[in-house]
Amino acid sequence: MRVAERTTHDAGTPARAGAVPSVPAAVVPLRRRRGTNREGLEAGRRSTRTLLWVLLAAAMVLYGFPFLYLLFTSFKTPIDTIAVPPTILPKEWTLENYANALGRSGVPASFINSIQTAIISTVLSLVLAVPAAYGITRYKTLSGRIFIMAALVTRMVPPVAIGIPLASMMASMGLADTPIALSIAHTTISLPLSIWLMSSFFEAVPKDLEEAATVDGCSRLGALWRVVIPVVSGGIAVTAIFAFLASWNEFLFALLMTAIRSQTTPVVIANFQTQFGLDWGSMTALAAVYSIPVILLTLLLQRRIVAGMTLGAVKG
Amino acid sequence: MRISDRRFALFLMTPAALFLAVFVAFPLFRLVADSFFKISPIAGGPRDFVGLDNYFRAFASEAFTGAGWRTLAYTLVVVSLEFALGLGMALLFTMLGRSSQIWRTVFMYPLMIAPIVAGLLWKFLMIDNFGLIGTLLHQAGILSNPNQIGWLSDPGIVLYSVAIPDIWLTTSFMCLVLFAGLQNIPGDLIEAARLDGARAPALLFRIILPLLRPVIAVALVVRGIDAARAFDTILIQTNGGPQSASETMSLLIYRTMIRFGDPGLASAMGTIYLLAMLAVAFFAVATIWRPGKDN
Repeated sequence: MRVAERTTHDAGTPARAGAVPSVPAAVVPLRRRRGTNREGLEAGRRSTRTLLWVLLAAAMVLYGFPFLYLLFTSFKTPIDTIAVPPTILPKEWTLENYANALGRSGVPASFINSIQTAIISTVLSLVLAVPAAYGITRYKTLSGRIFIMAALVTRMVPPVAIGIPLASMMASMGLADTPIALSIAHTTISLPLSIWLMSSFFEAVPKDLEEAATVDGCSRLGALWRVVIPVVSGGIAVTAIFAFLASWNEFLFALLMTAIRSQTTPVVIANFQTQFGLDWGSMTALAAVYSIPVILLTLLLQRRIVAGMTLGAVKG
Repeated sequence: MRISDRRFALFLMTPAALFLAVFVAFPLFRLVADSFFKISPIAGGPRDFVGLDNYFRAFASEAFTGAGWRTLAYTLVVVSLEFALGLGMALLFTMLGRSSQIWRTVFMYPLMIAPIVAGLLWKFLMIDNFGLIGTLLHQAGILSNPNQIGWLSDPGIVLYSVAIPDIWLTTSFMCLVLFAGLQNIPGDLIEAARLDGARAPALLFRIILPLLRPVIAVALVVRGIDAARAFDTILIQTNGGPQSASETMSLLIYRTMIRFGDPGLASAMGTIYLLAMLAVAFFAVATIWRPGKDN
């Protein structure tokens, strides 16, 4: 009984300054609704559930198979890779493709470039998006509303349309073929998304929190830095992952803006096709090495990522 | 001295606004400006003002109108299939409840894969001769010969084949967003409808889909914009071929700019493309979303 009382109380007055940041209180009604929904749509009958599990198993096999096939292929011998007819499993398991792919000149350097570019872009994106999103959500000014609309419109700009002018701008700034130039280009993609995500996270922070801090003598900037940022650190992590992934997987800007020195791995993977003939074995090996770290990262942080992905869309 | 809240908000937004102005708005301005010039592809070459000539040339060229229709067809196929599959999976996960949580996570994995890798992988699966899909369909007795369907070599179907990696990559996104939307539908509402004798189809079309409308609108618009800009997956699979049958707008603009060295014409195409995307997105938001009208 006491628990129920407390939840309704907290949900009604979501901001009790001094208490532990009351964001969890705002989450409580959501959880409870989720509970009632289970009675709503969740299937109860055992036969129905069995059928649903069978359907799910079929869908998972179909959906998971392509990547498994990529992995199996990467362990085949180079000749087996393009055997007719193809087999699913390697006849003979070997690391030959991995040795070929990673030993090729330019490949290790491209990994370093990818990591560098993604990190610079993530930091840049956060440094710009966090204060901007805070300004937009906390002080609902006209300029803020116009700004978030403009940021959303930027999402519609086809990269191919600004890639060339952007590349020539970077060249005239003396940044041609550098990770900095490419990370700036990647930030044009991740910044609007980061502002959008961070805005939804700041929206969940009760305003009284930093009002209490300013009464205690904090400046507004100090309140943001010392009180609000720690509360939304989870949201910042989600945003960072998205910015990182956007840069890590990006191809078109990397193709237009890099030559030898700053080429990232997606460009190298694509180049395998023309430069070295059709070396499918090495390509699958390199693709596996490039994808697996981020897939594992996702599985580890899945809860946070799901939250980030759905927050903006569901809040609409 | 304490500056006003309005100024403070502006101060917080300025760095990001400046960044977007310099690195997005300015290149866009350059793009629109370039569309009125005939530009030599050689750096420092001549640059002559030609008014709307590039726009007339764009609309007169079959490559441009063809790419426009192909982009539209590609986007419709990708988004509608993703929506149908994503909704199916979201309902499946909702009906199975919490016990399916781990599979929901696993289902998300393609979202983390680079589009270039996905395009490459599916090219490898669909390629003539040693592609696995043709072989499996042949072994299952569906095809009389493994190469009967030229997934990536038959101009009649290639546009739909190149869409497969895109669908595979982002059905998870559609599923996640719709799943989250489903969690927000009050359970008593479903119960009440059931008590009133509503069967599954009525439940889906009369209750669930209308309630999900805002979520669906956001998901469709976000994915529609991305699908209309698809580039990596198509470039690596077919480079627009055969016979331009899979050449969508992004590819055409890229090729006009880089391969055919006509930046003026490419800029005009890019400008038209951007305007069309903005118009469609606003129209879609206004008609599907209808904020405020459902409550």
